[in-house]
Amino acid sequence: MEAITSYITDLGAAVVLPFIIFVFAMVLGQKAGDALRAGLLIGIGFVGINLVIGLLSNAVGPAAQAMAENFGIDLTVVDVGWPASAAIAFGTQVGALAIPVGLAVNVIMLAIGLTRTLDIDLWNYWHIAFSGALVAVVTDSLALGVAAAAIHMVILLAMADWSQPLIEDYYGFDNISLPHGTSAPYVLFAIPLNGLFERIPGLRDWKADPDTIQQRFGVLGESTVLGAVLGIVIGLLGYGFDDPRGDSIAILGLAINLAAAMYLLPKMVAILMEALIPISEGAQEMVRRRFPGRSVYIGLDSAIAIGSPAVIAVSLLLVPITLALAVIIPGNRVLPLVDLATIPFIVCMTVPIFKGNLIRSLIGGTIAMAATLLIATAMAPMVTDVAASVGFEAATEAAQISSLVDGGNPLSGLIVWLGRMEWVGIAILAVVAIAFAYLIKTRVTSKREFADATAETN
Amino acid sequence: MKKVLIACGTGIATSTVVADKVKKHLQANGIEAKVDQTKVAELHRGAKGYDLIVATTNVPKTVECPVVNGLPFLTGVGVDKVLDEIVQHLKD
Repeated sequence: MEAITSYITDLGAAVVLPFIIFVFAMVLGQKAGDALRAGLLIGIGFVGINLVIGLLSNAVGPAAQAMAENFGIDLTVVDVGWPASAAIAFGTQVGALAIPVGLAVNVIMLAIGLTRTLDIDLWNYWHIAFSGALVAVVTDSLALGVAAAAIHMVILLAMADWSQPLIEDYYGFDNISLPHGTSAPYVLFAIPLNGLFERIPGLRDWKADPDTIQQRFGVLGESTVLGAVLGIVIGLLGYGFDDPRGDSIAILGLAINLAAAMYLLPKMVAILMEALIPISEGAQEMVRRRFPGRSVYIGLDSAIAIGSPAVIAVSLLLVPITLALAVIIPGNRVLPLVDLATIPFIVCMTVPIFKGNLIRSLIGGTIAMAATLLIATAMAPMVTDVAASVGFEAATEAAQISSLVDGGNPLSGLIVWLGRMEWVGIAILAVVAIAFAYLIKTRVTSKREFADATAETN
Repeated sequence: MKKVLIACGTGIATSTVVADKVKKHLQANGIEAKVDQTKVAELHRGAKGYDLIVATTNVPKTVECPVVNGLPFLTGVGVDKVLDEIVQHLKD
């Protein structure tokens, strides 16, 4: 038995996942040729991501190290971003089980009326796989990891139900909810914060225009330009400029490599996504047949909310703010890079709570980013371990890796922190998660159903 | 050859699903078109050279070509209607 496990581990996720995906696709009724293609694509995506993580940490690692020595700015944890985090998550044992387990939890919760959301956005089950994989690593127990992932799903569904009325009113999505692992947890802190803002007279009416900000700072949203500029800044701080020939070669090289990594990493994940489409469609068909009509909220990717001008404007302004926070905040060691492009996901569900007010959203976003950086720092050793366990060896001894999404996510952080206490922590989590789901059902969802019914009879 | 741009929050997540479906439908209808993906944050200078945008989220006001709402591809409700709309835009 041990020989088999060690053989599978040595094969690595890039080899094992194609077999798993092939079997899943066949079970869901795909043709053998399509199933084979899907399997190979997922392996290819893995290889691609590994190459780019290597590029990223090899380019940035030494400069970050030098920056730490020159200025005492210790930002040696490289933010490899959500593309790498998602791949790492799906590459683990928990990751292989995340989709069936997550779907089962969802179907059971729907059946017993504990949620109204049917989460058909299977790709984003990577969030529960990620926290589950970290728990599995820190406890050295697959069962605990899977339990953590299942509990994570319960909490996300409850959060989606809770925020659904706000999201529907603000974005105009009919019967759609967003059980998204990155975006939903920040709702929990935005609601009390907005309550506080309501009491501060100046903040109540201070406004800014999102379209102007998008025009003026739009370039910060372009990963390529942002990567190159960051590369030059980090290069200057790391290598200095006392030897113009040598230093300019190093700095410009870093700039183009960083721009390349920020552009290529998402492209590699697109390959993984493409591989998952047949599986995702098959599973969607299966569950949708069981819950037809308008009786459920359809759970989608919060990416659909990202285009809102207020979300883009706040996210653009948060790019320089996050970089400044990374330097200023004591204890932070994460160098924000790839996930600077993912900030919209962190703010997109809080903006409706702040009623689209830019100033409030920006203050809320700043607090959220500060917390995210510290959590990502704390999670870095574990993320680095899990990454190595799926064959992403690029993290050298000098540099660790982490990500703002979900390495810095408050809910993922909480789950991992409680998960360290093994069964006691998982039991506490389970009780809290179910109580929370029940509370949302009785206080929010049931009232909502009543409101819908009266609206229809009028 | 027509050019279609699929836009979403990341240029990957939802747009990959939509691009897959749009490509297959256009092929089935014999319409030759190049289908690209992007994220909305890259659209602040507009989308020059594209005949149509299919977006799963809002696009900036700077975009001048017609925009079709791609949300039905994700929810599964009203897909045929959007596909017809896309074909209409690309035929003339």
